[in-house]
Amino acid sequence: MSRTETAGASVDDASGDEEFDPVGTLALIAVYFAILLIAWVYIYFIEFLGRDLVVVG
Amino acid sequence: MSDALEAEETFLDRYPAEAKVVRSAFLGSFLALTLGAIFGIIQTLHRTGIFRGLIDSSDYYTVLTAHGVFLVISFTVFFLVGLFTWAVVRSLDRPLVNIKITWTWYLLMAGGMTMTGISILAGLTDAIDMSADVLYTFYAPLQAHPLFYTGLAVFIVGSWLAGADWFRTWLAWREDNPGERIPLQTFMVLTTMIMWYIASSAVAASVLIFLLPWSLGLIESVNPTLTRTLFWFFGHPVVYFWLMPAYLLWYTVLPSIAGGRLFSDPLARVVFVLFLLLSTPVGIHHQYLDPGIAEGFKFISMTNTMFLLLPSLLTAFTVVASVEYGARQRGGTGVFGWLRSLPWRDPAFTGMMLAGLMFAAGGFSGMVNAGMNINYMIHNTIWVPGHFHLTVGTAVALTFMAATYWLWPQITNKPVYSRQIGLFQVVLWFIGMALMSNAMHAQGLLGVPRRTAEPEYSGFEYPVAFGGFEELNVQIAIGGTLLFLSTVLFIGNLVLTMGNPRVSGLAETIRPALSGPDDAPKVLDDLRIWVGIAVTLVVLAYALPLAAIINDGGLLGPGVGTYPVWIDTAVGALAEVAVPAAWSLVDALAFVGARLLEAAASGVMA
Repeated sequence: MSRTETAGASVDDASGDEEFDPVGTLALIAVYFAILLIAWVYIYFIEFLGRDLVVVG
Repeated sequence: MSDALEAEETFLDRYPAEAKVVRSAFLGSFLALTLGAIFGIIQTLHRTGIFRGLIDSSDYYTVLTAHGVFLVISFTVFFLVGLFTWAVVRSLDRPLVNIKITWTWYLLMAGGMTMTGISILAGLTDAIDMSADVLYTFYAPLQAHPLFYTGLAVFIVGSWLAGADWFRTWLAWREDNPGERIPLQTFMVLTTMIMWYIASSAVAASVLIFLLPWSLGLIESVNPTLTRTLFWFFGHPVVYFWLMPAYLLWYTVLPSIAGGRLFSDPLARVVFVLFLLLSTPVGIHHQYLDPGIAEGFKFISMTNTMFLLLPSLLTAFTVVASVEYGARQRGGTGVFGWLRSLPWRDPAFTGMMLAGLMFAAGGFSGMVNAGMNINYMIHNTIWVPGHFHLTVGTAVALTFMAATYWLWPQITNKPVYSRQIGLFQVVLWFIGMALMSNAMHAQGLLGVPRRTAEPEYSGFEYPVAFGGFEELNVQIAIGGTLLFLSTVLFIGNLVLTMGNPRVSGLAETIRPALSGPDDAPKVLDDLRIWVGIAVTLVVLAYALPLAAIINDGGLLGPGVGTYPVWIDTAVGALAEVAVPAAWSLVDALAFVGARLLEAAASGVMA
């Protein structure tokens, strides 16, 4: 018998019977995507407005 | 085996022979970390111009190669083999089939890395006629001493045997437990090793067929694009080879430290399968600016790379949800308030969480690297080292250090010397890396090149954007110094821990997942299917580009000299005369041929 993964969740947890709903995780991921979106917009300023056109050759 | 029983026994109590292997692997890993950190601080202070007295700029590549190879090949892979040995033995709850084989692969890896290390370090002295200043990306035309390649080959063969050892142990377990699901940690080890077999086959071919014979003088030249492509065939999956042990720890150990459980065993399996499938057919995204590879192939590679974000985002969700569950168990409430209920004083927990946070930031810069068009903006600038110091340099390295605070007592029965120092150390790493990596990214946007001893140029000023070039240099130097101090604290704490007496009662438990393996589709455990799909994807992504590269440049290349470049003036002058002469001859022949054809045609008409 292997260890750890074969047993289901036991009821010794404080909220073992209840359905666990990770709302906090959802909130953190929403923050992550908000940062991602802001960075995405920000890169426009770096890439296109922050410097002049470079013509090679 | 019940949790209660497990809690009484550490890994050392139960598997002393295997614990010794794990310890030896970790010690090898930490030796490499120490060496890598020393070369790290030297190069940080050198390239920023803070202190250039220790090495010559001409030795910069030697230092850079040592820093890269010791840290990303030796430190990471030795930690991985130790951790995977622990994970397989622990999760299957049985010893390895034959410990002699285990020691054989360990000694092969250690011997191979010693050979490679000597060939690199010899570059620092003129007394030995040997050098391997080829950087961690050891493709042509940079050429190393044969000892470098031989050592690498031996090291890789050792890692293959290690994988075989774990597979064998699993097969033995399967005979005794027919029909049972593969325990999660073993599943993670097996999928990672399949990925490693596929990925390292290319670099083994590159070393054994091209680079080693070339460096021995058996063949005149190699096709540099081919060796580059074969390197990156391996060079991208290898980053997941570094990362998968960190993921294993985040999925299986971190939730328990947080007082919770893994949220979903099936999701964890899906993530590892996705990495097996998608890690390899993406390597060309490191070669967006390489001539000789058609844009279409690069585009396919970019698409695959973007898919690769998926398993990492799945991980972010699963791991954070598992930790949140722990926080709720500890009485945490609210949308963000639960974060306060986590064990932030535990260096293992805080280190791994900070590592995960840095990895999220690494995801931002990684997306820039992966995009074909915006990659041009940062390609070969110091942005790229800035990126991978977030991923391998923090997500992986900091997780390994943090996990050591948890795992070391399990394999030695010695409590950590100071958990306070440990906590300070992991936070210091985070701060140091935040400074250094941020400044590296910013300098990269200014166009500051990577891999350059003296990145300032006379008569040229970098454009000023977010603080000038010099200000960012100071930030890099401060960050690098903090990272070095953090490494010293880590190693010091560990050495003092070794002096502690053995005690009992250190056993830690890993609790079962909330949604266990029975919820996972059985097909996930059928490794043959995933191997088949993974190989198919690799063939689709690489068959045509490799064929085109060989077709254009020849298997052994059009003849590229070694570095230092030898320019034989006589041959050069001859070529200058001969090539136009040959072309004139071809033109003349073509002209005559055309005339003859015309004459023949008119003759026929007549």
